Amino acid sequence: MVNRPKKKKSKLGMRRTGFIIAFLAPTLFVFCVFYLYPIITVFVTSFCKWDYTNITSPEFFGWNDLWNNYNYIFNKYPFFWEALKNSTKWAIVGAVVQIPIATLIALALSRKVKGIKFVRIVYIIPNMISTAAMGVIFLQLYNPSYGIINPIIRLFNKDFSDSILLLKGPAFVAMTCAYIFFTGTTTLMILGNIMAVPEEIREAAMLDGASGLKQDLHITIPMIKGTLKTVSVLAATSGFLLYNEVYFLTKGAAGTYSISYVIRELAITSPRTQFGRANAVAMIQILAGMVIILVVSFVYSLSYKKEKH
Amino acid sequence: MTLKKFKKEKTVKDMPIGTKIFTYLCLIWALTVSLVPLIWLVLSSLKKDPMARPGFQLPDSICIDGYISTFRDLHVLRYFGNSLFVAGMSVLISVVMISMSAYVVARMEFRGKALVNILLYSTMFIPATALTYPVYNLINNLHLYDTRAALILIYSCSGIAVSFFVIKNYYNNIPRELEEAARIDGCGYFQTWLMVIFPIARPGIMTAAVLAFLNNWNEYYWASLVLITREKLTVPALLSTFTTSFNTNYNGLFSAMVVIILPPVVLYCIFSKFFVEALSGGAVKG
Repeated sequence: MVNRPKKKKSKLGMRRTGFIIAFLAPTLFVFCVFYLYPIITVFVTSFCKWDYTNITSPEFFGWNDLWNNYNYIFNKYPFFWEALKNSTKWAIVGAVVQIPIATLIALALSRKVKGIKFVRIVYIIPNMISTAAMGVIFLQLYNPSYGIINPIIRLFNKDFSDSILLLKGPAFVAMTCAYIFFTGTTTLMILGNIMAVPEEIREAAMLDGASGLKQDLHITIPMIKGTLKTVSVLAATSGFLLYNEVYFLTKGAAGTYSISYVIRELAITSPRTQFGRANAVAMIQILAGMVIILVVSFVYSLSYKKEKH
Repeated sequence: MTLKKFKKEKTVKDMPIGTKIFTYLCLIWALTVSLVPLIWLVLSSLKKDPMARPGFQLPDSICIDGYISTFRDLHVLRYFGNSLFVAGMSVLISVVMISMSAYVVARMEFRGKALVNILLYSTMFIPATALTYPVYNLINNLHLYDTRAALILIYSCSGIAVSFFVIKNYYNNIPRELEEAARIDGCGYFQTWLMVIFPIARPGIMTAAVLAFLNNWNEYYWASLVLITREKLTVPALLSTFTTSFNTNYNGLFSAMVVIILPPVVLYCIFSKFFVEALSGGAVKG
């Protein structure tokens, strides 16, 4: 393709360029309308006075009061720090708890045991159900009068009759438990990678006396590190962005606000909508996403180095 | 054949006892986590009054009133129709669009190719919720608020990164000779793509389509944002009305939940082989 004779190129080249442009145009158009323009809007208006009083005409603060919205978010808005703390915790839990669980189960699912195909299929089922529906199901499980969590707590504490979703502390734990164990899709991605490890390597490890868990730890896991890094970023990001669980389980009560919940409340659901301030929070969310990628990459590069020594 | 069989048995027997116990513990855990909430849900939906017999007690008599009213009073089929329409249309639009641009990026050299790659890759890390207000505003300005078209637009445009990379990777595996042969036979660029490459890449494109369809079917955030009229709601958006509308009719609530989660689960069970392969990158044959 590269060494095509030059004579023909002018006519063919035109056609080629036309084809490339025509095929790229729809996607690039969508990118501009749906990503580029909104991001620029978010960035610019996070420095503007823009709320329910001037819906159609955002007003630049001027260079002196540039950080007005951010100031308000950091110092006056009552739920920001709570939300940031929670979202950060969920991001960490995603990478530190969810990924090890997903990996362990993927390792178990990679063995040749009777009925393994059945377990593989069943384990994905919760991930096929929308998180909104899972939220409603868990709301019922946690219900103090007919759920199944309160009877379990009552085994240890006879007089317990509160709803755990209304207690500060337990509410956070309960919400985390409502999604953290459903690692089906992540597990499958890891499992795919484990199965792609060449059989010869495993056999060689067996001859060296490494079998079972030992083999997993020293042979398999180092070989799938690339995938583990990717799914860690995905898990941490989705933990940071948690919204549906917050909405369906507590609506932010008992100290369970998340960053996404704050943005939606400021921008849409509150009677005194504050778009400028919502977009300031959105900027922080975008930045946090980048921080997550950097931190995860850094941690994984550390463990690479350790291996070399 | 026999050799393979022998190998299989060997791996099971050779597993150290600790590993064996550990494996079974993991498998039991996997089954418990995924099945207990669902079993509880189905059990509760069959009880006339879940309040009277909480937890895992078996119902004293099987009551299906809730199921009947889910279809008769809640008109649940209407919402399935909405979801199917919205998710189906948006998958169609986005997959056609992406399979075009992914082809150009995978197979042709042009200036700015790296930039296109980076731009599309970056969308994977831009949180949709951060763009809440600009997108909401855009929908309002286009006078699409509270229409299903708005949702189709949003779904077609979001999640392009995943589809793009799945489809592009598939294109990369198609031998270039096929294209060259088609070109020698006198096919134009567009014809080559439509008649030769597109049919070959169908499995990869199907994988992207299925993943996108599932995402769109289950999407709640935008659905609850742009749709207000009850008749237009998709299934996940309908759920937010549940927490109040069923007030004390728990039997009705549980039955409706079972019906609502059934289609994706049944669909998954039928096509599980396909799903497992798609999600694991083809290495695991389900």
